[in-house]
Amino acid sequence: MRKLPFLYVSLLLIGILALAGCGTSTDETESDTNGSSETEQGTDGQATEQADEEKKVLQVGTDAAFAPFEFMETGEIVGFDVDLLAAVMEEAGYDYELKNLGWDPMLESVRSGSVDLGISGITINDDRKETYDFSVPYFQSTHMIVFNEGVGITNANDLEGKRIGVQTGTTGADAAEKIVGQNNKNISKYETTALAFMALQNGDVEAVVTDNVVAAEYKKNNPDAKVETVTDEDNFESEFYGIMFPKDSEIVDEISSALATVIENGTYTEIYQEWFGEEPNLDALTNATE
Amino acid sequence: MIDFLMFIQERLADIGIDFRMKIVIEYFPFFMQGMLKTIGMSLAGVLIGCILGLFIALGKMSPLFILRLPFVWYINFFRGTPLLVQLFLIHFAVMPLIMSPVNPIASVIVTLSLNSAAYVAEIFRAGIQSIDKGQAEAAHSLGMNKLQVMWYIILPQAFKRMIPPLGNEFIVLLKDSSLGAIIAAPELLYWGRAATGQYYRVWEPYLTVALIYFILTLSLTYLLNYLERRLATK
Repeated sequence: MRKLPFLYVSLLLIGILALAGCGTSTDETESDTNGSSETEQGTDGQATEQADEEKKVLQVGTDAAFAPFEFMETGEIVGFDVDLLAAVMEEAGYDYELKNLGWDPMLESVRSGSVDLGISGITINDDRKETYDFSVPYFQSTHMIVFNEGVGITNANDLEGKRIGVQTGTTGADAAEKIVGQNNKNISKYETTALAFMALQNGDVEAVVTDNVVAAEYKKNNPDAKVETVTDEDNFESEFYGIMFPKDSEIVDEISSALATVIENGTYTEIYQEWFGEEPNLDALTNATE
Repeated sequence: MIDFLMFIQERLADIGIDFRMKIVIEYFPFFMQGMLKTIGMSLAGVLIGCILGLFIALGKMSPLFILRLPFVWYINFFRGTPLLVQLFLIHFAVMPLIMSPVNPIASVIVTLSLNSAAYVAEIFRAGIQSIDKGQAEAAHSLGMNKLQVMWYIILPQAFKRMIPPLGNEFIVLLKDSSLGAIIAAPELLYWGRAATGQYYRVWEPYLTVALIYFILTLSLTYLLNYLERRLATK
């Protein structure tokens, strides 16, 4: 026992030395990285300043996990939104860089202005307009109720009293909440649509409300699933996707009018047909714009 | 309370931070409901985990290799695979055999219990094996049977030594219950995500949720410290 204090003290000393060692080394690396990032930022800043006079390179954020709007295909971001973005940027005369940021980081990046805009099947609503600016709507989402055979849902009002699965933060969630009430206890908000469909298969929820294109994708990939679908344009309120900008961004009008041009001149219709195989409802979009 | 929150919002705005207390206030009742569910799920997980863990620890200490084997592999499985995967397996594959529709809260409780049992078992084993053999031998010589030795002599002493690592495990478990949000168990983080989904803002919901988790774990820390002091022998 007499040896213990000596052992204790020496261990303590070793610990302190080790910590001190770590401290200095991290300090060095930190200052190193700080230094280099600062210089990088410096050159970046100059580069963008120079580019400002000619053409500013816009940073675009997305969450490439929402087929067929944006998803990863062999390491590249593809989808309806991606093609539309290319057309709009060409029309507006901007170079851009599309980055896959993930959902929550994308929101915060647009809010803080570290990217110039976000395109990711983003639904326009009043709560979100308090924080962001939106372009004119570019996609009308038609909600589809997917339910197991025999549950017998014929229109949206039948959702009342049923257990409903949605993906959190989507148009489907908004639409279902408008029918049964916000944060109703019968609504389960899943992390992804795939999880909501899995809950439907297991009978945890009786119906899933989502975009018809997403539902179509599910049926295509799960041909054995015994589900029925119904759309209801009368009872569901229309929801629209828009490009999202930081509040009071200077490029909103420019990009928005370029988008409107792309919708009017037929490029939009081409892209729409390529991805969804049908004619877009242009009247609904123009009506929503007004 | 609301006045105070608005006061903070204004001060934050003064230094250029845009923080909407409105979201916090609107979702406060939901956060409270979620907090109660989080506490409930964690308590149930801790209790069931401790009971299961004790048996698994005893099983793993069995002198028979064959008897030891299932317990060893139970621990290997639950320590060696991600908790999220376990949650999916239990929610989508195991629970549907027992109940329909599956209550996600039940799935979270079962997953947390089974998972923490593996960790708690090792804590118990360490605690039990840290007690000097002489204690058991002395008790045996007084005519106690194996069960009595374990219950009256070993466990009370071992328990004291197990409090710090158990406290660690409880805190981890409390925070891990947030994974329930992914299968739509309406616990604390679920409501944070719901608020983010409505407003597309991340700081207000997540910081509030983090603060509530912090208050919960802090209370647990001091409760355990108190317990440790009460049980300390001089």
